Amino acid sequence: MTDLPKRTLDRLPLRWVLMDKIEAFASLVWPAKCHRTTGWLFLTPALLLVGILLIGLGYMLEYSLHELDLSSYRLKDAYTLGNYRYLLEQPVYLQVLLRTLLAASVVTLATLTLAFPYAYVMVRTSSSAWRKFLLVSLFLPFFIGQVVRAYGWLIILGKEGIINSALMSLGLPAMDLIYNYGAVVFGLVQYMLPFAVLLIVPAITAIGEDIELAAESLGANWLRAFWHVVLPMARPGLVGAGIVVFTLTMTDFAMPEILGGGTTDFIASAIYDSFFQLSNSGLGAALSIVLVTLGSILVAIVFRITGAGTLSIRQ
Amino acid sequence: MQLIPSKKWVLGSLVAFSLITLSLPTIIIIGASFTSGEIIQFPPEGFSLRWYRQLWEMDDFRSAFVRTFQVSAICTLLAIPVGTLAALASVRYRMRFQRSIQVYLLLPFTIPLVVSGIAMMIFFGEIRILGQLWPVGVALCLINLPFMIWSVSSTVNGLDPELENAAHSCGAPPVQTFFAVTVPAVMPGIITGALLMFILAFNEFLVSLFLTDARTVTLPVQIYNSIRSVITPDLAAVSVVYILVALLAVWLLDRLVGLDIFLKSR
Repeated sequence: MTDLPKRTLDRLPLRWVLMDKIEAFASLVWPAKCHRTTGWLFLTPALLLVGILLIGLGYMLEYSLHELDLSSYRLKDAYTLGNYRYLLEQPVYLQVLLRTLLAASVVTLATLTLAFPYAYVMVRTSSSAWRKFLLVSLFLPFFIGQVVRAYGWLIILGKEGIINSALMSLGLPAMDLIYNYGAVVFGLVQYMLPFAVLLIVPAITAIGEDIELAAESLGANWLRAFWHVVLPMARPGLVGAGIVVFTLTMTDFAMPEILGGGTTDFIASAIYDSFFQLSNSGLGAALSIVLVTLGSILVAIVFRITGAGTLSIRQ
Repeated sequence: MQLIPSKKWVLGSLVAFSLITLSLPTIIIIGASFTSGEIIQFPPEGFSLRWYRQLWEMDDFRSAFVRTFQVSAICTLLAIPVGTLAALASVRYRMRFQRSIQVYLLLPFTIPLVVSGIAMMIFFGEIRILGQLWPVGVALCLINLPFMIWSVSSTVNGLDPELENAAHSCGAPPVQTFFAVTVPAVMPGIITGALLMFILAFNEFLVSLFLTDARTVTLPVQIYNSIRSVITPDLAAVSVVYILVALLAVWLLDRLVGLDIFLKSR
């Protein structure tokens, strides 16, 4: 370009000149010999961002190793495993843990049972209007958020909610539909359904319809074709959805709080209470570390057995 | 595909149950917001717009709405470059430690939100930025980042590397290739991811609960704090705002990239 007479240079569109400047700057700060590490350059912002989480977890780990000084309500300086020992000694924490794991299993099972047919029908239907309706019905609650949805259930099931006021206007006694285990599980299933369907759908899309037809034409009834052909082939999706639903349920806070009303505390509620009610950040941190460890072990085991399923970034 | 009657019946009733469960809260909230009574009951007392009129007078909810919007905007604007570059890097470039990087980038999903929220609350407190609004946006970007990376990486997988090579051999320098070839090719993924990031930040509750105080409270936290055992319709009117925003987001997603993008096999 330097060979061009100056007048020609002046007449070049501004955008070109600007682009040339940017390219020159780019090759200055990131010369061609660095191009082999461009991947790392692209990755750096994300690595730094997620690093915030790691630093925070570091603080958590540190906190968890200090016991609370009851006279000053601050953490003692001495390092100790006392908080972890306390968690093991108090049966209430084991209870909360078991309740959480049980609820997570029930919710996962119920969600997958509902999500699989939903995903299957959405993929297989020949009517595009029906498909769109199913998609919109799925995305709308997904986008509305957990608190508002829980509030909706509160209106319906609450002590003075719609069902109970309808019962009373008919002269029937009110029912306890809320602040119990069932309400929490039900609310969670509804909350998890969109996640599960969206993770199962790619796996079902990948199954050729002809394979299913072949099974059926060879004499398998549809239930057997489902059980022996469709479900095994959709396993990556089911595993991915199962892991996501299980871990999200296991760590949920809003549903047990809003629909459980303190009767059905999960681990997250216990962590919250340790930090903000007991003001014992050491204990809360220890509980958090236990939860993270437990969740990671669980995911690692499932991944080891079945592979990452539809959760992997690289295909 | 012709369905056998029993199959149609079983699948149909399960799907119908899911549809009712998914839609019922939304429908009830909309209905409740139009009641003319002081409390929500069935059968409803009558129809009125009084709770929407009152919506304008609830200053704390209005300012919470504005703040939620700002937080979501910060989250989205940050997620677009960070997530797009990370997705390109993890799919297009052969790198060492590929598996470890993947596990690392999925940390926001594997670490429970309650733990992430409190961990960031402690860290932000230590560096004295707790109580400001922008760290909330950064935090929400961080916890949902895998959604952005997934969205973009699913389109990167469909991008032909030969396109970039062609641009190179036609003399396009790297930056121009990036903006004229690579970015347009993955644009559907960027749009999907950006919309997801915005809407998820808009209704994020748990992490915001830990990172906001009375001056910076966002709308989901405000709603949570206002839920009492006595159910009043003013909160239903606020919730309808969420339903409208969600509707808008679904419509945009469908118009810009098509909802069918989620039905692709991976």
